Amino acid sequence: MQQNRWLSWLSPLLLLVLWEGAVQAGILNRIFVPPPSEVVVALVDGLVDGSLVADVVVSSERIALGFLIGAIPATLLGIWSGLNRTVYYLVRPLATMLYPVPKIALLPLVIVVLGIGEVSKIATVAMSVFLMVVIHTIGGVMQVDRRYFEVGRLYGANQRTLFRTVALPASLPAIIEGWKLAMGFALTLIVGVEFVGASNGIGYRIWQSYELYAIADMMAAVCLIAALGWVLTVGLDEMERLLVPWRHTIKESRMPLVQKWWGAVRPWSYTAAIVPVLLGAAVAAHEVTLNWLWLALALVGSIAIQGGTNLMNDYYDYKKGTDTPAVKGTGGALLRGDMTPEQIFWAGIIAFAVGSAIGLYFVYATGPFILWLGLCSVAVGYFYTAGPFALAYVGLGELAVFIFMGPVMVLGSYYLQQPVIALPAIWAALPVSFVVAAILHANNLRDIDTDIINHKRTLATMLGRSGARVEFYVLVGGAFVSVLVLIALGLAPWPTLISFAMAPLAWRLMRTAATEEAAEKLHPVLRGSAVLHMRFGMLYVIGWVIALWV
Amino acid sequence: MQSTSPIVFERVGLTYPTGVTALTDITLSIAPRSAVALVGPSGCGKTTLLRTIAGLEQVSTGTLTVAAGATRAMVFQSGLLFPWMSVADNISYGLMARGMPALQCRDRARHWAERMGLQRFVDAYPHQLSGGMQQRVGIARALAIEPDIVLFDEPFAALDAQTRLLMQELVCDLQRQGVCGTMVFVTHAIDEALIVADRIIVMSARPGRIIADVTPQLPDVPIAQKRALPAFTQAFADIWAQIRSEVELQMHEEVR
Repeated sequence: MQQNRWLSWLSPLLLLVLWEGAVQAGILNRIFVPPPSEVVVALVDGLVDGSLVADVVVSSERIALGFLIGAIPATLLGIWSGLNRTVYYLVRPLATMLYPVPKIALLPLVIVVLGIGEVSKIATVAMSVFLMVVIHTIGGVMQVDRRYFEVGRLYGANQRTLFRTVALPASLPAIIEGWKLAMGFALTLIVGVEFVGASNGIGYRIWQSYELYAIADMMAAVCLIAALGWVLTVGLDEMERLLVPWRHTIKESRMPLVQKWWGAVRPWSYTAAIVPVLLGAAVAAHEVTLNWLWLALALVGSIAIQGGTNLMNDYYDYKKGTDTPAVKGTGGALLRGDMTPEQIFWAGIIAFAVGSAIGLYFVYATGPFILWLGLCSVAVGYFYTAGPFALAYVGLGELAVFIFMGPVMVLGSYYLQQPVIALPAIWAALPVSFVVAAILHANNLRDIDTDIINHKRTLATMLGRSGARVEFYVLVGGAFVSVLVLIALGLAPWPTLISFAMAPLAWRLMRTAATEEAAEKLHPVLRGSAVLHMRFGMLYVIGWVIALWV
Repeated sequence: MQSTSPIVFERVGLTYPTGVTALTDITLSIAPRSAVALVGPSGCGKTTLLRTIAGLEQVSTGTLTVAAGATRAMVFQSGLLFPWMSVADNISYGLMARGMPALQCRDRARHWAERMGLQRFVDAYPHQLSGGMQQRVGIARALAIEPDIVLFDEPFAALDAQTRLLMQELVCDLQRQGVCGTMVFVTHAIDEALIVADRIIVMSARPGRIIADVTPQLPDVPIAQKRALPAFTQAFADIWAQIRSEVELQMHEEVR
C-alpha cells in the first residue's frame, strides 16, 4: 500500500473528523454548525421515528407524478415535432420561448390558478419537466443522421417501420439525456416548491428546521435529498443501460449487476471483520441483554470498512498496474473489465462513508471511547505500510494485527453492548488474535524469499525460514492452547472447546508449512489460514453462545 | 432475368435546387448481370449517378429507366449500419422491412453471416466490429434481400490497404457465385475498378459526363496475378490518361 491511496479516501474522513473535533473542542459553535455525529443521529432518529421517511415519500411522490405527467406527453410531442415540420413550427418556438423562464418564478401564478394544494406543486414540476424533455427530444430526433432514413427507405421500410426501427432508437440516447436533466430539475424544483406553502416533504423539513434553528435536522434532510437524487440518477442510468444497450459492450450488458459487485466487494473475505464483532457481542451477552440494532449496525460498519478497503486496494493496484490475474485470484473485477476504475473508487468512498457514519453515530451515542478506538485503528492502518516507521516493515505487522483485529475490535463491539472497558473481553479475544496473526504470517512466510531480496523486513525475514516456521506453529498452536488456558482460568466457557473441531485443519497447515519452501506450495497455507480463521473463529463464537444456556 | 438492360440512362442531367449541376448528358445502358465500375475525380457526380439508380435522387432532364420490379440494394461508403441493431438484425433489415417473420429473418441472417465469415459476431453490435467486418455486414445486408441490382458506393475507401484487398477478393467471389445481380461499383481507385468490374465508365470533373467507356477483357484470375498482367497495367495507364486532366481541372477548381 502506498501513501497516496490512503490520502484520497482519508481526506473526506479527515474533514469529518476535523469538523467533529472543532465542534467538540468548542472552536465552532455547536448551535450554528452541529458536528457530523449529531447530523448522523438526527438522520437516524428521523428515519427510525418515520418523520424523515414520510417526508421523502411525499417528495418522491410529487417528483414521480410531476415527472411522469411532464415527461410522457413531452416525449411523444417531441418525437412528433422532430418528424413533422408543421408540428415542429407550432411547438418549437413556444417551447424555446418558455424554456428560459425560471419555473419557480411561476409558482405564485400556478398557485393563483390551481390553489395551494398538491396540484400546484406537481404542476410546477410537470411544467418544468415537460419543457426540458420536449426541447431535448426535438433536438434528439432532428439530429438523427438523415442517411439512416435513406437506408431504411432503400431497404423497403414504410413510415411505421421507419419510426420503429430508425427514428425511435436513433434519438433514444438524446431523449434519455433529456429525462436525466429533467429529473435534476424536478429535484431542485421540489425543494423550492416545498419551501413555500407546503406542510410536508423534504423541502418543508429543511425550511422548518431553519425556522426552529434545528440545524442538525436541516443537514439530515439535506443528506437525504442528496441520497434521493443519487438514487434517481442511478435508476435512470440503469434504465439507459436497458434501453440503449448498443452504447455498452455486450459483456457489460450481460453480466448481472449483483454478480459484478459480488466479485468486486468479495464478501467472503469478511470473516476478519465479522468474527471479532460477533465475539464481542457474544461475550457481552453473558452480562446484558443485547442491543440487536447496534450489533447489526456494528456488523454493517465493520463490513463497510473492510469492503471499502478491498475496493480501494483493487483501485490502487489497478492504477499502479501491479495486479495481474496471477497475483490476485479472488479480486480483480477491474482486470476482468466488469467495472470501470471510477465505479470502484466511488463505491469504496461510499463504503467508507457508511462505515464512518455508523462509527460517528456510536461516538455520539456512547461517548468518546469509541472515537479513540476508531482513531487508533485508523492511525495503525495508516502507519501499517506508510510513513517512516511502517509497522509491517519493522517486523511489527503481526503484533499490530494481533492487537487490532483481536482485542480492540472485540472490546469495541463489547463496549457497544456494555460501556465498560472489560478485561474479560480482551482475554476472550486472544484465540482470534492468534489465528488472524497466523494469516498475515502465512503471507510473510510464503513471500520470505522475495521479501529478503527486496529488503522488506518482516518478522519472517528477521527470524529466517526455520524461525518463521516456528512462529507459524506458535500462532496456530497458540490459538488452540489459548482456548484451553482461558477455560482453565475460567475466562472462557467450556463449550468453546467446540473450536477444536478445526484442529485437524490446523495440523495439516502446520505440516505443509514445515515441509514446503516454494512460494506456490505455500500459497495453500495462506488460503487455509484464512479458512481456519473463519471456521475456528465462528466455532469459538458459537461456543460462547451455547454457554448462554448450558 | 430479362435480356433487356435493367438500367438505361438517356441524356440524363441532374441539377440540384441550389443550382449546382451534378450530371449532364449521361447516356448509358448497363447489361443484365454485368459488373460496371464508375471512376472519376472526386466530386464528379459518380455517387450522384449511383443514387439516381437507387431512387434516392430524381433526375432533372432526360430519362432513367430501371427495370420494373427490380429490387435494389446499396452498400454505403461508411457502412451506415444501424448502431442500435445487432449484426443479425442489421443483415436481415431489408427482409424484416418487407415483412418476413422474425424467425425466418434470423435464419437468413445466420446464413449470410456464415457466408461472410461473421458467424461469431451475429449478436455483436456494429461498434464492436472492425471496419472490414462492418463492411461485410453492409454487404450481407444488401445481398440478403437477393437483389437484382447491387450498388456499391466507394465501400472500401475507408479501409486499410490489406483489408481492402481482402474485401475486393470477397466481392469478386460473390460475383462469381452470381449473387450480386447487376452490379454498379463507384470507386476513385482505378485498380479497384479493374479488379471488380468488367466494364469501366470514366467520368469527367463536375458537371459529370461520361468521357470514356472501357471494357478491358481481363482473364478471370486471382487478384494478385490479375494486377501483374500486362493488359491490366495497360488498361490502368489508358484510364489514368483519360482521368488525369480531369483531376487537374478539379484541383484548379478547388483552388479558385
